[in-house]
Parts: sequence; C-alpha cells; structure tokens
Amino acid sequence: MSTDTDPSAETDAPRFDKVDWEACAGDRGARLSLNTKLFVLTVAPILALAGYDWYAVGARETTFGALAAATNLQGPFDTLGLDFAIATVDYAFAVTLLLFVWYLVAPLYQHPRITAYYWRRFRRNRPALVSLAWLLVVFGGGLLGPLVLNAPEQNVLAGHQPPVGLSVADANVAECVGEVTDGRCAGTWKYPLGTTRGGLGVFKGVVYGMTISMKIAFITTTLVAGVGITVGTVSAYAGGWVDEVAMRAVDIVLSFPTLLFFLLVLYVYGAGLGMFIVVFSIFGWGGTARYVRSKALSVSEEEFVKAGRLSGATTRRIVRRHVVPNTASSIITQLTLLIPGFLLAEAQLAFLGLGDSSIASWGQLIAAGRSDLTFAPWIVLAPGLVLFLTILAFNFLGDALLDAVDPEATTEADR
Amino acid sequence: MGLARYVALRVGWAAVVSLIIVTVTFGLLAAAPNPSVQQAATQAALEGGNPQEAVERERQLRGLDEPLHVRYLDFLQGVYTLEWGWSEYRSQPVTTALFDAVSYTAQYSIPWTILTVLLGPLIGVYSAANMYTWRDHAATGFAFFGYAIPNFFFGIILLLVFGVWLEWIPIVYRTEVPTFSLANARQLVIPVFVLVTGSIGAIMRVSRNESAAFQNATFMKTAKAKGVSPLRAYAYHVMRPTLVPLSTTLVGQLLAIFLGSSLLVEVVFGIPGLGRLTFNALVAQDTNLVLGSTLLFTFLAVVGNLLEDLAFTVLDPRISYDDRDL
Repeated sequence: MSTDTDPSAETDAPRFDKVDWEACAGDRGARLSLNTKLFVLTVAPILALAGYDWYAVGARETTFGALAAATNLQGPFDTLGLDFAIATVDYAFAVTLLLFVWYLVAPLYQHPRITAYYWRRFRRNRPALVSLAWLLVVFGGGLLGPLVLNAPEQNVLAGHQPPVGLSVADANVAECVGEVTDGRCAGTWKYPLGTTRGGLGVFKGVVYGMTISMKIAFITTTLVAGVGITVGTVSAYAGGWVDEVAMRAVDIVLSFPTLLFFLLVLYVYGAGLGMFIVVFSIFGWGGTARYVRSKALSVSEEEFVKAGRLSGATTRRIVRRHVVPNTASSIITQLTLLIPGFLLAEAQLAFLGLGDSSIASWGQLIAAGRSDLTFAPWIVLAPGLVLFLTILAFNFLGDALLDAVDPEATTEADR
Repeated sequence: MGLARYVALRVGWAAVVSLIIVTVTFGLLAAAPNPSVQQAATQAALEGGNPQEAVERERQLRGLDEPLHVRYLDFLQGVYTLEWGWSEYRSQPVTTALFDAVSYTAQYSIPWTILTVLLGPLIGVYSAANMYTWRDHAATGFAFFGYAIPNFFFGIILLLVFGVWLEWIPIVYRTEVPTFSLANARQLVIPVFVLVTGSIGAIMRVSRNESAAFQNATFMKTAKAKGVSPLRAYAYHVMRPTLVPLSTTLVGQLLAIFLGSSLLVEVVFGIPGLGRLTFNALVAQDTNLVLGSTLLFTFLAVVGNLLEDLAFTVLDPRISYDDRDL
C-alpha cells in the first residue's frame, strides 16, 4: 500500500496516500470481534455440560442429578430445582439462542442509529407490530413457561373441564373441578383453557407447545441459514463448475418432497424431534442458497467491493466483511418466511400421530381433542388458533421486515 | 440452444433427479434393518421356532443375501418397470392399490386445481384494479388468512360447523355414491373449499403485485384512450402478461400443498385417496405400499416441476435458452 513511499518527504497536508491503511484494516481476520468472544465465552459452559452429558452421564441418570452427585453439591442443586435430564435438542436450542443474542440482538444494540432507522420504517406497519408483540409472547412463554409451570399431568377425574367463563353440561364432565349450577359445570382458573379427556390442562399444553415451536424455529433456521449462506456465497464466488454443481444440488433439494421423505425416514428408523429438525434442515436450505447466491452476485458488482479488491483484500475477506453483511438483512427476512412451513409440518405430523409422541406440541393437542370436538371444542380450538396466529405473525413480520430493510423487494415476499 | 435441445436437456435432467431420489430411497432402506425380517424373527420366536433360521429364510426370500449392487439394480429395474410389489395390507398389488386411490384423490384435486387457477389470478387482478380500497383489503385479508390457517385445523372446524352443528354435509365420506352426483358434490365441497383457501392466497398476492405494474403501463393508457372497455382492457392487456411470471410459481405452489395437505385433508375427511393410503400403509407397516406411495408422490413432484419449466418456456419466448437454468 503506502509503504513504498517515504512519508517524511511529503508535505503535512492531509493526503490520501498518507493514510496508514494497515492500521485501518487491522491485522486481517485473525482478531476476533467482541461478540464472537462473548459468544465463545457463553457457549463454552453449555458445550462442556453437553460433553459431560455425553461421556459421563449414564442412560438412566439425569444430567444435573449426575453432576450434583459428582460435585457433592446435592444441596444447592436441590434448592434450585435442578434435577432434570437435558436432551440433545435442548443443547442445540441453547447454542442457537446464544447465536441469536450475540449476532442479532447485540449488534442491534451496538448500532443504535441503524436500529432506529429500521425501527422507524418497521413501525409504520401496524399488523407487523402486533405480530412482533405476539411472537415475543410466544418466545417468552416458550422460554420461561416450562421453568414457571410444572409439566401438565394426566388426571382422568379432571377430564373435559371447560375453560374459564364457559360452562358445559355436567354429564360431559367426569368430576367438575369448579362449581356446578343448574347441572352445568363452570370452568375454573385452575385450568384457564379447560382440560383434555385425560385431564391435561390445555393452557399448560399450549405453553409447552410454544417451547417446541421455538426450538423448531430457532434450530432449523440456524441450520438452514448456515448451509444456505455457505453454499450460496461459495457458489456465487467460485463460479464455474462449483457454481453449476451447487445449483444442481439446490434443484434436487428443492424438488424433494420433504414431508414424504420424512415419512419414509420415520418409517424406516423411527424419528423424534431431533430427526425432524435434521431432515427438514437438510432439505430446507435450497431456497435460501439460491436467494443468497443471487444477492451475493448483485452485491459483488457494487463499487465498494471493487474498491476492496483493488486495495488488495482477499476473496475470503471480501465475502466475510462486505458480501455477507450486505446480504444479511434480506437473508433474515427470507428465513422468517421459512419458519411457518416448519411449524406447520411439525403440527401436521403430530396431528397424524406420526410425530414425536414424547413432546407436547400443538399438533398433539389438536389430535388429542379431535374425537371430543362436538362437546369439548376448546381442546382443538386453543392450540389451533395459537398455531394459526403464530404462522400469520411470522408471515406479517417477514413482509414488514422485507419492506423495512429492502424497499425494492416488495413483490418478492409474496412469491 | 434451440427449443428442442432445451426441452430434451430438461427432460433428461428430470430423469436424473428421479434417479437420484430413487437411489437415496434405496440407500435409506438398505441401511436400516428390514421390518419384515424382524417380523419374521418375532413370529418364529413366538411360535417356538428358531429366530435365526427364520431371519435367514426371510432374507433369502427377499433377496437380501445378495450383494448390494445386485439388489440396487434389481430395485431400479422394479421401480422403473412399475413392479412395485405386493401390498400385504391391501392384499393386492401396490400399483392396483395406488390406482384405486388415485381416482378418489382426483375427485377433489381436479376441481380444486381448476378453481385455484381460475379464481387466483382473477381476484388478484381485481384486487390490483381496486388497489387500497376496502375490496383490496378484504381480498388481501382473505389471502393471508388462507395462507396462514393450517388446512387440517380449518377442515376440522368446518366439519364441526357444517357437518355436526348445521348438518348440511355428511360427516362420513361415502365411497358408494356415483362420482358425478349431487351427494358426491356435497361431501367434497368442504375439502375443496379448504384446499382452495390454502392455495389461492399466494397466487392472489403474486398476481396482484405483478398486475399492479401493468395497469399503469403506456399500453393501458393507449387502450383506455382508444375507448376499449375496462373488461377487455384488463383481460387482454393486464391478465396476459401477469400470467407469465405467475406460471413459474403456480405449479410449485399447488404441488407443495398437494403433497402436504392432501394427506391431512384426506385423513380429516376420511377420503380413501392417495394420502390416506400412505398414512394407512405407514400405520400398518406395509413397506411396499409405503415405498410405492412415496415414490408416486415424488414422481408427481418431478413431473410437475418439469411441466412448469416447459410451460414457462412456451409462454415467454423473450428469454434466450442459453442463460437459463435447466
């Protein structure tokens, strides 16, 4: 850069070629950003716990139970109520949450000016604001619900209780928890949304279903984003046969009927939530990769990328510092519009009784209430409406984000 | 590259995709323990026989003791010559079972597809013509509602309201009614309605946004200045160019909903079509039938994508074949 000219020979007037480019650019790539450090710092204990779980905890022990026994700290662990097993999906969920916090929420906080700009544009869209509020409720409920509420329990005697404010004929209820007036059983606050045939609280079921939905939304999105962004940018930058092969792979992935393939996997191997997430991620990245590729191609035509290349930046640096950040906002939007499909697929499978029967998802609840629909419609209606509103909210939010970050792409959202 | 060459290449590519899908399916089955072998072992153990011997016999019977590549070639040959085996659960050849089911699926799929293809662009263009009026907002609201409500949930609710409470439609699907009869129309109207609501939203939105660009174009001004009636102007000058970009999304949309929702809608309404057959096969552990129905759906998807691309080529002659994805 400017090293071959002698600075002292020049005049003191600020000149372009006297800028110390090495200092501006920093040492390339090797230094980690603050957010990456914080991410590594927070993810390390989770990975350590996962490793401990994998190697040291037996199949019949709970993770924290084994940890308490190993560290002789049963007392504090009991007071905190830490005695439960952690599934692989939970570790993945925790890691994706940290990714979300350090690479999406923290940057928004660190750059208040651009955040305020997006917020001003986003705020104009009233339905999107309501959607965001609803999704925050689902997110908060899913995250905190299982910690605050204990898991819903079977209690056959408390079956078919009506929701608060409603009453049903006493004959339909095994044993009314609330008051019985004129032969009609009234709902109580013990079960705000009523109960199923088996006496599971529908409200608790809905809250626990939020957790499942949030897990699916976060983990699949992270996996899809990881694969999609990698394939898309590599394909755009490598060009030639790499591009050709990658795009053919995208074609194949897109023409694979994922739901049916999952049925086949489920039939052959049996499948839980983890397998669901993996299969839907493996076949879900096609659209994202294609989208990222076209975005990356258009960004790489921009002047600042040419400028970067002329000043000697490597391809790796250009992709990481210029192409990916400049496509990030539209990628996030595209991912928001993918989530409803995953949630719907899980609900469909659970409804068919082909999902993971050990988890309390909304689809399971809908399936459980289907036979009692005529006299206990709340069992189907409550989770069904929550599912409907969540899918609707993701669609509205995706559209609004698209308008906020990329005014030119309005029509793309509806394709 | 000429049209014929492009079509040939595209058809060839579809064949390659189908081959890859079949190969992945084979790999999946080959890597897992075969359920019928396990069944044989359990059977033998229950009847006091030797499970090991039964496993050997079953493996030999199903040709599992042959080398992998021989089994693979056999599998390929079976798939592409439509020898899809015997369905234990239906006690008939898999192809016959599938063929029987297709007729029930077609009974609601054909009206559904026709309605979606007709109404979607019409309402979309109408919505664009009345942009930002209450009619547009109502249409947009309907589009989002249909797009977001899970088909199976919507079906259950409608079945409750119209079947159980109002008793307008039968709750149980009857197969014995003739195809072209009022009774059949009555029992299919709600499934068709549910599927149309689900698929029409996206098509309405695309045609609304696409046609918005055309209705202010100079050729529309010319048409209006010449005194062309609004109906004719919209039909000839807005609808036609709108249909070209629409055709790229239409088949994909319909296929996605068909593959996912037909399964759910058939289970909810008790229609004994392809989706229900697949579901029953899964529950009854009938490997041949599961394989047959998933392969059929997959081939439908491949052929659908192929037709979509070919239709686009014929409809839009402006793009050269060279810089187009296969």
